[in-house]
Amino acid sequence: MISVHNLSKRYGGRTVLADVSTRFPARQVTSLIGPNGAGKTTLLMMLARLLSPDQGEILLAEQPVHDIRLADYARRVATLRQSPGINLRLTVEELVGFGRFPYSRGTLTETDRHAVADAIEFLSLTPLRQAYIDELSGGQRQMAFLAMTIAQQTDCLLLDEPLNNLDMKHAVQIMRALRRLCDEQGRTVVLVIHDINFAANYSDRIVALKQGRLHFSGPVADTVTEARLQDLYDLDFDIVRSERGRLCNYFNPQGDWS
Amino acid sequence: MRRPLMLSSWVAVLVLAVVFVLLNSGLDTDYIIPKRLLRLAAMGLGGVCIAFSAIVFQSIAGNRILTPAIMGYESVYLLFQALLVWLLGTSSLMLMGQNGNFFASVLLMLAYSWVIHRWLFRDGRSNVYFLLLLGLVLTMVISTLTQFIQVTVSPGEFAVLQGYNEASFNRVRPGQLGYAAVLVLLVAGVMLRSRALLDVIALGREQALSLGVDYPRCVRQQLFLVAVLVAISASLVGPTAFMGIFVANLAYALAGTTRHRATLPMASAVAVGLFILAQLLVEQVLNYRTTVTILINLICGGYFLALMIRTRGRA
Repeated sequence: MISVHNLSKRYGGRTVLADVSTRFPARQVTSLIGPNGAGKTTLLMMLARLLSPDQGEILLAEQPVHDIRLADYARRVATLRQSPGINLRLTVEELVGFGRFPYSRGTLTETDRHAVADAIEFLSLTPLRQAYIDELSGGQRQMAFLAMTIAQQTDCLLLDEPLNNLDMKHAVQIMRALRRLCDEQGRTVVLVIHDINFAANYSDRIVALKQGRLHFSGPVADTVTEARLQDLYDLDFDIVRSERGRLCNYFNPQGDWS
Repeated sequence: MRRPLMLSSWVAVLVLAVVFVLLNSGLDTDYIIPKRLLRLAAMGLGGVCIAFSAIVFQSIAGNRILTPAIMGYESVYLLFQALLVWLLGTSSLMLMGQNGNFFASVLLMLAYSWVIHRWLFRDGRSNVYFLLLLGLVLTMVISTLTQFIQVTVSPGEFAVLQGYNEASFNRVRPGQLGYAAVLVLLVAGVMLRSRALLDVIALGREQALSLGVDYPRCVRQQLFLVAVLVAISASLVGPTAFMGIFVANLAYALAGTTRHRATLPMASAVAVGLFILAQLLVEQVLNYRTTVTILINLICGGYFLALMIRTRGRA
């Protein structure tokens, strides 16, 4: 479990995160939602230790994260940023192999090879094993990077807008994979996501930020309601509940929502 | 990795080297062959320096157009030489000796590298075009300063300075070659040993950090090593401008991968091969009517132009 306490971050004079305290329970999928500029990515980057907070503390299993060596942290928390390194000439298998760097520092052992094969298999990327990542489509490339993060075999996965620029099929594939990682392998997943419908249908818990502050957080059933989403996004929401999940309709607001 | 291609490129380099040493030598082991071997050693060391520094610098900067030469390293070296002659006269050559100058240049490169590091890699990865522009402007400003100094010195001193502006394999001294060889072997060895780390660094700051790499420290170390290599190649063979880009990009294409265990040796083969070929042409075919610099700049500058046009909007 990761918990954050009184986290703040300022860029120049602008406060991007103010006094945020919340927790990300183990073995659950938690979605960070909120309007643009709410501080979602900043919070995620701090969990990943890519940014350091100005104030406050992050605890991984009750241990302050800055007390953990970076090399050890990489065996407990894996991070995927928005599709990086596009002009690299690497095969999918080589890329996924990088996920084993925290363990083997570059020379893959038998265990590493198994982890790589498992991760590729898990995302059904086996036919693309020898394909070069600069020749893949955006969706396939995102899957390859996700496979690398999975091969890192960490308890916790952090993802920054993993569905960015993906078509619906790839988006569903990625979200289903995250769900299975949580349900079948007991991993903790935290992701920043813009599509409220994916957040509502695939996560256990929602953490909503607005203007750098924690707006609300809790299980999906308590948080994905018309009133709360309207307040968060300043949009008119109509939530349709059916046996296949809930659908948040905000496309054609009723009344005066400019 | 395409092993056969790697092997054949090294065989080609070897053949070129043998041709270079023996062609029209009359098998004269007293003068011609030892002199040629000296030049060959300079080309070998210089080639490895350029190849390793270009590839590692590109991996850190995250693009294929920047090289240390374009980021102003070499012009700083030239300015330093001009300043030495300006302030101390040609006696500076006596005063510091070949080795003194060599080690002072290495220190200066390290200082410049530190500035570049502080300034450019401050926020991780900056805009490529901004870096490129900044590098060209820096090079221009520093070269103008160098030129300004050059026109104020006496004609004799000017001739000395002119010698530094061209890549040449004729000015190496055996002693200097010894120091350089030890340093190059050391630095290249360290870089080769950290090839897996370099692969991860090429993924970018954030991905490297999340794979548990202490990115700032590693980049600092690697830039330090790059600076040593640039200083050695600048003082050994002179400025080489676009050659790093040509060598690195050809190596990526030939190796068919960006893994450093393949690109570093491949780039070295390309660089050494290109040096020997150019020197061979100058010595045997063109009979010293043109210089190695002109030949290499012709090939590499043309390639750089093609690269800019081809990858426009993608780099």
